[in-house]
Amino acid sequence: MPTLDDERVEAYLKQFRPLAPEPLSTVGTSHRARRTFVLGAWATAAVAILVIGALTLPIRTDRARVTETIGNVGNPEHLMEDQPLTMRSANALVAKAPSFKAMVDDMAFRSQNIPLPKGKRSAVAVLGKEKIKL
Amino acid sequence: MHRTDGDTAEIEFLYRQHGPALLLFAQAVTGERCRAQDAVHQVFLKLIEKGSLNRVVDKKAYLFACVRNAALNEGKLRERNAPLEPDSAWFIPPDRDYAGERNLRCALGALPNDQREAMVLHIWGELTFSQISDLLGVSSNTVASRYRYALAKLRDSMFAKENSCANS
Repeated sequence: MPTLDDERVEAYLKQFRPLAPEPLSTVGTSHRARRTFVLGAWATAAVAILVIGALTLPIRTDRARVTETIGNVGNPEHLMEDQPLTMRSANALVAKAPSFKAMVDDMAFRSQNIPLPKGKRSAVAVLGKEKIKL
Repeated sequence: MHRTDGDTAEIEFLYRQHGPALLLFAQAVTGERCRAQDAVHQVFLKLIEKGSLNRVVDKKAYLFACVRNAALNEGKLRERNAPLEPDSAWFIPPDRDYAGERNLRCALGALPNDQREAMVLHIWGELTFSQISDLLGVSSNTVASRYRYALAKLRDSMFAKENSCANS
């Protein structure tokens, strides 16, 4: 039977932990290499997904914007009210209008649809009230 | 026999788990850290080449036996009873008690080989007397007797004459 002293000495001795041996090159290297490869593969996949996502998102946004614009071109009233006259909107108006004259009239009266700020009058209204003697 | 990833993982696990105690035991047998390191590595490299430990019942005791054989076989090529290295540490001391570590190393070095083996295998290898008896090829009573002698000597040299090693 070990005495109490023996147990205390054993407990004291067990506090000293033996030093670890140097890493075993074959096991350590192969596993480390495999672990590195797996981690590298995951990191590469993650980066690839991020890059593809980053590249795809603007393309999709642009496509949606183009689709929206094309849809708006087919609606000349929308262009007339909100947007300045451009070649594209003019072409859309030409395509939509029954005749060239109707299209020009439509464009000419477009500005009247725009509400003027308070206290201001349009030049056409001012000139219309003036009595000009020729 | 083909080595699988599971076998390699098991060998790696055994190396991490028992490596320190095996190295200490090899140091206790050879007296040199380098030779001890070689013996431990030699055993594990052979295990990796061989394949697996599936047929081994008591893997820990088997590893200690392999390391002992490797250390003794390697020692036969050189001087059998080499003096223990005085300067290289064997342990990580508790609370940075480096003087205690040196005392313990000196006390272990002063033990006869058979007592030192029994001490290291039981305390740090955590093998039972029965396992040690199988490993060393002696009876359990002999192992227990060697262990008790060794423990008494360590107690005397470390606590009663704590600085004897440092002064020597």
